[in-house]
Amino acid sequence: MSAPGADFREGYVEADGFRVRYLDAGHGAPLVHLHGAGGLRLTPAHDLLARRFRVVAFEMPGFGLSGENTKTRSMAELASTMARAAQALGLDTFNLMGTSFGGTTALWLALQAPERVPALVLEAPAAIRPEGSEPPSGSPEEMARRLYAHPERLPALPAVDPAVRAKTQALVQRLRGPGRDAGLEERLRKLPTPTLVLFGTLDGVIPPAMGRIYKDLIPGCHLVFVYDAGHAIGAERPQAFAEVVGDFVERHEAFVVSRAETVIHP
Amino acid sequence: MKVSFFETARYCAPQALPSEWPVPSGAYDREAGARAYRDMIARLEYVEELGFDWVSVSEHHYSPRILTPSPIVSASFIAAHLKKIKIALLGPIVPQSNPVRVAEEIAMLDTLAQGRLVVGLLRGTTNEYLTYDLNPAEARERTDEGMELILKAWTEPQPFGWQGRHFQYRTISIWPRPLQEPHPPTYALGTSRESCDFAARNHLGCGVSYGSFEAVGRATRYYREQCARYGWEPTPEQIIYRANMLLAETDEEAEALLRQQPNQRPFTMRAGVSEALNKLDARNIAGEARAPIVSGALPTTFIGSADTVVEQVRRCRDVVGAGVLDLSLYPPGSSDLEALMRALELFGAKVLPRIRDI
Repeated sequence: MSAPGADFREGYVEADGFRVRYLDAGHGAPLVHLHGAGGLRLTPAHDLLARRFRVVAFEMPGFGLSGENTKTRSMAELASTMARAAQALGLDTFNLMGTSFGGTTALWLALQAPERVPALVLEAPAAIRPEGSEPPSGSPEEMARRLYAHPERLPALPAVDPAVRAKTQALVQRLRGPGRDAGLEERLRKLPTPTLVLFGTLDGVIPPAMGRIYKDLIPGCHLVFVYDAGHAIGAERPQAFAEVVGDFVERHEAFVVSRAETVIHP
Repeated sequence: MKVSFFETARYCAPQALPSEWPVPSGAYDREAGARAYRDMIARLEYVEELGFDWVSVSEHHYSPRILTPSPIVSASFIAAHLKKIKIALLGPIVPQSNPVRVAEEIAMLDTLAQGRLVVGLLRGTTNEYLTYDLNPAEARERTDEGMELILKAWTEPQPFGWQGRHFQYRTISIWPRPLQEPHPPTYALGTSRESCDFAARNHLGCGVSYGSFEAVGRATRYYREQCARYGWEPTPEQIIYRANMLLAETDEEAEALLRQQPNQRPFTMRAGVSEALNKLDARNIAGEARAPIVSGALPTTFIGSADTVVEQVRRCRDVVGAGVLDLSLYPPGSSDLEALMRALELFGAKVLPRIRDI
């Protein structure tokens, strides 16, 4: 088996003066992914989703290989930069998936341009957090213990360059917003976008119980718990994650109607 | 005519509830739930005293409208509290159940209740498929296979394996068997051609519900024709008709009551969900297509004063051929318990004695 993301091609696009890196694979309806506070890292879920969609995973300005981002002042600004990046790739409308920190970015983007986002997927979103919740940090082992329910079952995380870590941590702290943002939550009540919120039942970064707040606020929200997964659901239970995400992106609220076949012997 | 009381465990919500199905569990009031079940037993003691032949329970999920997600639990509880009345389990939703488990539980309950059980097996209303993630396109097939397996589990004396389409077991041999031989009176519930065929083929009763006499009469006529084809004739008691009844002192009063009922369909779902279900779920009355999801309130087919209702029951017997009426004396979902008790009293005094010999 090849490493996750083997079929993805790298590209760059200009948006708001940033040179934004992205990874792109697959055909069909576009599905844009915005990563979490740890930066862009493809998982087997990306590969599975790329069999059904054209998956475009952006590296947001200030993360990973990009230079330090001292310009972006708020999550709303980051969201509009990412909307421009998608536009620059010719994506007028696109399904949008955000992970953790990137879930907050995705929410803002959907609020700013609902007409461009047919469906929104939030993987363990960080837009609503209990007091004192902090993104994972530390050694690769410490990170893995926060991100995964079963780190021993997964390949070790790569070591992170201390300089990269320092610049992204500063950016995340500046942009991530308060744990409860009354203004944002008020706006969510009017979000018209079909939204799927996923939490791993063993999420050690953001309590899965935050999910019910999204469900309560967003009119077309569906909440799904992924059993035995931690914060990084797509890495830990890729098939389970990609199946429900793909189904929701294609069918929206009708995804509650099962199409699973149970014939054993025809 | 035999008479059955359709018990829905009336839940009186202390505050207004969202109408969309599924209704959020968080809106449930525990105390109101406990009261609903206490009141249910008190009401059924009265129903038994009035001389009803059966009390029936059904399976519905994720909503306070009919608060009996597990009919086997309600039937067991009722059987333990009441002494004479028969308990009609109408019934487990077969396509989303483990058929062997259903066969075992019914056998056990029939024995616990000293043979007072009546059983209806059915495909279930369309919304219920969402409850346990059942593919609506498979519901019909799973129902037929599941029902056949339940009958087999009750009647086959030797351990047997089942190599089905949807179910597979290497060995089945249930204990206890039902007290009634070979099994409790059993009905296939539904107006569809498939359901009537199944009932006729397996010498089961047929249960129809809510449609006009003419509409459900088409199904029962088809059922009787099929029975004849298989060389037998069902008794009147083998046809159940479930319906809403609004009974009052006068016709005018009953009509006024009907106008007060909200014209809301029983289980409201989001448009995209209904549409997807409609696409995958096919329904018919004796072969003639009908929509899977009802668009308004369920009809009230018996309405008026005692005199009027007795005449309607007579017509029902003629047109539908039903020998058992399974009645909601006030629309399920209504929480006006006093009105329900008044209707029961009136029914017991002025209708029940007059329809016995219809």
